[in-house]
Amino acid sequence: MTPLIRTEGLTKRFRGLLANDSIDFAVETGTVRCVIGPNGAGKTTLIAMISGHLAPTAGRIWFEDQNVTDLPVARRARLGIGRKFQTPTVFDNLTAYENLELAALGAGRAAAARSHRIAEVLELVRLSDQAWQTAAALSHGQRQWLEIGMLLANDARLLLLDEPTAGMTAEETHATGELVRELAQRLNLTTIIIEHDINFIRDLQAPVTVLHLGRVLVEGSFEEIARNDQVRDVYLGNA
Amino acid sequence: MSDQAATTRMGPSSPHALVWLSEPVLALVVFVLLALLPIFLPGYVIYILPQYMLFGLMAMSLVLMWGFAGMVSFGQAAFFALGAYTMGLVMKAGGPINPGYIGLLLAALVGGGIAGLVGYFLFSAGVRPTYFVLVTLALSIMMEQIAVSQSQITGGWNGMYIDRLSLTFGRFGAVSLYDDAPMYWFVLPIMAAIYFGLRALVRGRFGKVLAGIRENEDRLISLGFRTPLWKTAAFALSGALACFAGALYGTHASFVAPSLGGVLFSTEVVVWVAIGGRQSLLGGLLAGIGVASLSNFLSAITPQYWQLVLGVLFVVTVLFFRGGIAGVLGRLVERHAGGPRA
Repeated sequence: MTPLIRTEGLTKRFRGLLANDSIDFAVETGTVRCVIGPNGAGKTTLIAMISGHLAPTAGRIWFEDQNVTDLPVARRARLGIGRKFQTPTVFDNLTAYENLELAALGAGRAAAARSHRIAEVLELVRLSDQAWQTAAALSHGQRQWLEIGMLLANDARLLLLDEPTAGMTAEETHATGELVRELAQRLNLTTIIIEHDINFIRDLQAPVTVLHLGRVLVEGSFEEIARNDQVRDVYLGNA
Repeated sequence: MSDQAATTRMGPSSPHALVWLSEPVLALVVFVLLALLPIFLPGYVIYILPQYMLFGLMAMSLVLMWGFAGMVSFGQAAFFALGAYTMGLVMKAGGPINPGYIGLLLAALVGGGIAGLVGYFLFSAGVRPTYFVLVTLALSIMMEQIAVSQSQITGGWNGMYIDRLSLTFGRFGAVSLYDDAPMYWFVLPIMAAIYFGLRALVRGRFGKVLAGIRENEDRLISLGFRTPLWKTAAFALSGALACFAGALYGTHASFVAPSLGGVLFSTEVVVWVAIGGRQSLLGGLLAGIGVASLSNFLSAITPQYWQLVLGVLFVVTVLFFRGGIAGVLGRLVERHAGGPRA
């Protein structure tokens, strides 16, 4: 099986700081991948290079065998790379419905298919009852879901979720995990998640990539990672 | 914050059915009243009102940029004057086809073309709204300067006289618009048609994308939109409309001078739209007509203070009613309509 997204020697240097150092990373279609690591490990930098918001210093990014390294953000979005930002980035003064409508417009659907899709997404992200509230009036967790919903309405096939459960209640966090699993299993969507919530990561039962100082430290299942001495050292600050 | 959210909800994205319903109904009522006006009020009012209606069209061209795309333009009067000069030159040149028609068409094309070109380069380079304001301000200064300096074409300070256009229908004859009443009847339906056309446009895909640009352009780019092209289209349409209105104005007033395209007049347009409500096409249209009429009235009764009155009106609006008159009315309607649609 060929990976949906693959990076090759991906490097980002900010002046003296090597934020990403020659990262080789691949995620297969229909799977979920967690990316973890202490602050400053280069997680968001990696996501931003895949989404096109940051240009790499060196290396290449392949999306379905297409080299997307030099494509602008909007082109990558139309190919199916969708990014949820670390702080919820939605259209505050528009309603939840209108937020999703814009996302669906971006995917270029016909009007009838659009409203059908929006209703579907509202259901998926549990916002059917809030459809006519402005995004500003939603709770933090609902805004996170709304942004994930926008990626779905936008027909993203690769979801880049930067800390999706930040600010969520335990119940919301659990539901988010279920949503991500459902998207992979039922819709064959691929998700890369940056997270800090260790319970959330464990519940996902997805492979984990640990970044440290801009490099891939180790990859494996949650149990393998949890047992790994290097990872423990990194998180406890001994490495 | 809550005030801003409340006023914006009145705007292009209101989910409240009654607000949506009431604006075109109100527009229709106003247009019908205006249509009946010549019967009751012949004379000067009928002469001057079409000019103010054309100011109203210019105000709507700014609402499109400011209220919907979120970018203020201080260059609308430049396009308006450009239209008037274009009309004047075409009318002077004459030709086998009715030069009035050619002038109107050419004005729209020239205005749309120049705005599109300027917009394309600015927006592709990722210019911020603040700098966009400055560039449009420069457009106004340039327009006035060119009109002054190229006096062999424009008449310089003396301005340019422009004939009234006549409507010709080929074999079916012609209608002269030399008298004020026919001209009034000609301008009014054009204004109404443009209002309803623009309204349909901003309620569709175009308006939604512009609202997205205003609310969060980065998010929109991340959803795959080439926002520079959408902004260019909005500015081109805005320029075309202002220029077209200016062409009609030129032939109606029969005269155009450099100050018509200057910074002062461009600023006045911004004031009208701020007072009327920058997110409401009807608010902008009626504020253009209303404030221009008020200025005319006030300048007659208190020549020394009328600009002060307008200034105070502007400051009060900006400070206390950010959505302008349309915002206040919209909120009242919303209150009486009850909560949001379920």
